[in-house]
Amino acid sequence: MNVFGTMFSDISASLFRRPATQQYPRKRTDAPLKLRGMLHIKLEACTGCGLCAMDCPADAIQVIMLDRKAKRFVVNYYVDRCTFCGQCTLSCHQGALSMASDEWELASLNKTPFLIHFGKASDVEQTLAGTPKGEPAKSEHS
Amino acid sequence: MKPFISIIILWLFPSGIFLLLFGLFYQWFDRKLLALLQNRVGPRWFQPLADTIKLLSKEEVIPDGVNSYLFIGLPLVALAGALTAALYVPIAGLAPTYGFPGDLIVVLYLLSLLTLCTGLAGTNTLDRFSMIGATRTLTQLFSYEAPFLLALLGPALVAGSWQVGTIASYAQNHWLILTQPLGFIVALVGLMGKLEMPPFDAPEAHTEIVAGALTEYSGRGLAIFNLGRAVELVVGLTLVSAFYLGGVSNPLWFLGKTFALLFIMVGLQALLTRLRIDQTVGLWWRYGTLLVLVQWFVMILV
Amino acid sequence: MEPNFPARSFTIPIGPQHPALKEPGLFKFVVDGEIITGASVRLGYAHRGIEKAAEERNWVQNLYLIERVCGICSHIHAFAYSLAVEQLANVQAPPRAQAIRTLVAELERIHSHFLWMGVSAHEAGFDTLFMYAWRDREKVMDLLEELTGNRVNYSANLLGGVKFDLNAAQVQSIRSTLDFLEERTRHYQDVVTHDEMFLQRTRGIGVMTRSQAEVMGAVGPTARASNVPRDMRTIAPYSAYSQFPVQMILDTRGDLEARFEVRLEELFESIRLIREILKAMPEGELTVRMPRRIPAGEAVVRLEAPRGEVFYFIKSNGTDKPERLKIRTPTICNLNSVVRLAIGHQLADAPMILAGIDPCFSCNDRMVQVSKASDGSEYSMSWKELRQHGIDYYKRLSK
Repeated sequence: MNVFGTMFSDISASLFRRPATQQYPRKRTDAPLKLRGMLHIKLEACTGCGLCAMDCPADAIQVIMLDRKAKRFVVNYYVDRCTFCGQCTLSCHQGALSMASDEWELASLNKTPFLIHFGKASDVEQTLAGTPKGEPAKSEHS
Repeated sequence: MKPFISIIILWLFPSGIFLLLFGLFYQWFDRKLLALLQNRVGPRWFQPLADTIKLLSKEEVIPDGVNSYLFIGLPLVALAGALTAALYVPIAGLAPTYGFPGDLIVVLYLLSLLTLCTGLAGTNTLDRFSMIGATRTLTQLFSYEAPFLLALLGPALVAGSWQVGTIASYAQNHWLILTQPLGFIVALVGLMGKLEMPPFDAPEAHTEIVAGALTEYSGRGLAIFNLGRAVELVVGLTLVSAFYLGGVSNPLWFLGKTFALLFIMVGLQALLTRLRIDQTVGLWWRYGTLLVLVQWFVMILV
Repeated sequence: MEPNFPARSFTIPIGPQHPALKEPGLFKFVVDGEIITGASVRLGYAHRGIEKAAEERNWVQNLYLIERVCGICSHIHAFAYSLAVEQLANVQAPPRAQAIRTLVAELERIHSHFLWMGVSAHEAGFDTLFMYAWRDREKVMDLLEELTGNRVNYSANLLGGVKFDLNAAQVQSIRSTLDFLEERTRHYQDVVTHDEMFLQRTRGIGVMTRSQAEVMGAVGPTARASNVPRDMRTIAPYSAYSQFPVQMILDTRGDLEARFEVRLEELFESIRLIREILKAMPEGELTVRMPRRIPAGEAVVRLEAPRGEVFYFIKSNGTDKPERLKIRTPTICNLNSVVRLAIGHQLADAPMILAGIDPCFSCNDRMVQVSKASDGSEYSMSWKELRQHGIDYYKRLSK
C-alpha cells in the first residue's frame, strides 16, 4: 500500500479510535493555568496611576480620578475592547492586575456585562451620575 | 386497483418519497464514514435531510442571461431521470417494479441523463466557473461511460439477457465478483466516476472552480440536483452490488451488500488525491478500457 | 497595473472570494481550454493601515498592534519589532529571553508548516492529509497555549525581553509533544514523497530555476527549493541563532515536490533546534529595563519568518511614538513567481502553485492606487465621498 494508499494506516486506525474533536460544549477541558482570561483588579493595591490605561493597546481601561489626595478613583474595564494581551498586568508596578485562567467564556447577549467598574460603590455612583446621559466621566488617561 | 398500486409505487414506496429519504440516508452514511476515517465526528443522521429542507426554503436566484425555462427545468429532468431509473433496478431487495427486455440500457441512459443535465445547466449560465465545470463534466462523462457500460454488460453476457431483473436473479446463484474480478474493479471505479466522488471530482473541484457546473444554483434547483445525486447513489450501488456481489434477494442482503460496497468506496475516497481532468481521461481510456477488454476477452474464451 | 490581455480572452478570476484562497486577493488567469496563457495579480483587499496606525500609538501599544499583522506569523512580527526597538534604545535583551524568543519562534515555524501542509493538500484534493495535519497541529497550539497563554497571537514578547518563563513541567510537555510531532512528520514525509497520486499533482509542477528565483527575488522555502541559499538565520544570525546555529535546507529541483521536501526538512531542523535550546538554556533574567521614550534614530531588522525574510524599518524621533514603521513581508516577494510560473500549466495546477509559496495576504497587503480606465488619471475619495458613494450604490440597487 505504499504507492496508492500511503495514509491507509491512519484511516484504518481511526476506525477504532474516538474522534479527535473536542466535544465542546458537552465536555469542557480545563484551560491551562497561563491562559489570559478576564482581567481582575485588586483595589487595595491599586494607586490609580494609570500606567495600565496608558499601555493598553485597545483603550480598554479607563482610570477616572475623583480625588487624588483622598485616593478616590474608579477604574473602568471594557471587556469587549480588551484583546487579553496581558500588558496591563506587567505595566502595573503594584501587582494589582491579574488575569483569570478559568473565565474565558465571556460571550453575552447584551452589552451590560461588558463594562465593569472597579471602585467603591459610592465612587462608582458618582462617576455614573456625572454626565446627563449616565455615561462615565472623562478620564485623565484613556 | 392497478392504477392505485402504481400511484403507491411511484409516490411512496419503493420509489418516490421512500427513495428520496433512502438516498439521503446513504449520503449521510457516506459523509459520516468519511469523517470517521479522517478522525472527525461527522454529521448527525438528519444532516442531509436538514440541508435539503433548508435549501428548499431559500430564495432561488435566477442569474442574468440564462434561459429561465432551462434553468428551472433541468433539475427536474435530472431528478425525474434518476427516479425513473430506480423503477427498473431491485431497490431495497425487492424485485424491480417494472421491467422489460433491454432495460439495462435504459437504466444506464437515464443515469447519464442526470450528468448531461448537470453539464447543460453549466453551459446555460454565463458564469466562467460553470462553463469550465460543464466542460469537465461532459469530458468525464465521455471518458468513463464506455468502460463502465462494458463492465456492466459483462454480467449481462453471461446471464444471457439484457433485463436487469433477470441478470440480478441470475447473479444470486453466481457470485460474479469471483469470476469477473477485473470487471468488478472497473465497475466500482466507474461508479465513483459517475457519482463524481473524489478522486474523480474534478468537475466540481471546489478549490479550483468553486462548485463547477452548479455554481449558480441555489435554493430549490440545488436541492433537486442534490436529491437527484442521492437517488443516483442508491441506484448505482444497487446495480453494481446486484450484478457482482451475488444479487440482492431480500432487504437485509441489500443493505449489507450496498453498505459494504459504499464502505470500500469511501475508503478509496479517503485514500486518494483528486485527479486532474486530463489525468482522469488518460486513466480511463488507457487502463479502464484495457482492463474491461481483457475481461471480455477472457469471458468469451472461457 | 492592468495586464495586457487580448480583447476577447476567457479570464477566470480566482478571488477575491474563492474557496482556494484563505484570504482575499485577486488572481486573473487567462485560459485557453484548460491551459493558462496569462496571469495577473491584484492585492489590497485586506489592507488595514497598520503602518499608519502604528504612528498614533506609543511603543508599548505598538507591540500588540504589530502582532496582529498576521495570525500565523504573529510572533515573528513582534520579535522583529522588539529587536528593532531594542536596537534603537541600544539595549540587549538578556540571553535567557533571547533563547525563549527563539524557542517560541521555532514552535511557530512548526505550526505554520503544518498549517501549510494541510492547506496544500486540501488544494490538491487530498482532504485526508489536510485533516490529519491539522489534527497534529492542534498539539503545537495547545503547547503554545500552555507556555504563553494564547493559541494565536502569543504576546510572548516585551520590549526588552519576554513575559514568561519555562518551568520543569512545561519543558517536559515540550519534549513529549516534540517526540510525537517528529514521528508524525516522518510519516507525512513518507506520504508526500511516495504517494503516486499526490506526486502526480506536485512533481514537475511550477518548476522555478535558480536564475529565475534570483531574478524574481523569491525568498524563504520557495527560493531554497530552487537552490537559492537565502536563510536569514544562517546568513545573518540574530538573537539566539548565533549560539544555536541552524542548517540551511536546499533542494535543487525547484518544483512543488521540492518545496514540500524543504518545508518538511525544516520541521525536523526546528525540532532539533528546540531540543538543543532546552538542553542548554542560559540562566538569567527575563527582561531588561527599557526607557519610555526611545532615542531618535533608524533601525533595520531582517528575520526569517516561516515564509521567508521579513524586513522591518523603524524610525524614531525621540518621542514615545514611532515616526515611521515599514514592514516588508515575504509573500510579496514570492507572488511574482506565481504569476510567471502559472503560464503553460493547467488551470487545476494554479491553486497548487499558489499554495506552494505559502501565501499570506494579510501580511503583504499594500495600499492600492486606483486609476480611471478612461484616461489613466488617479483618483481618491475622501471619507465623506466614500460614505455617500456607498449610500447611493445601495439606493440604486434597491430600486
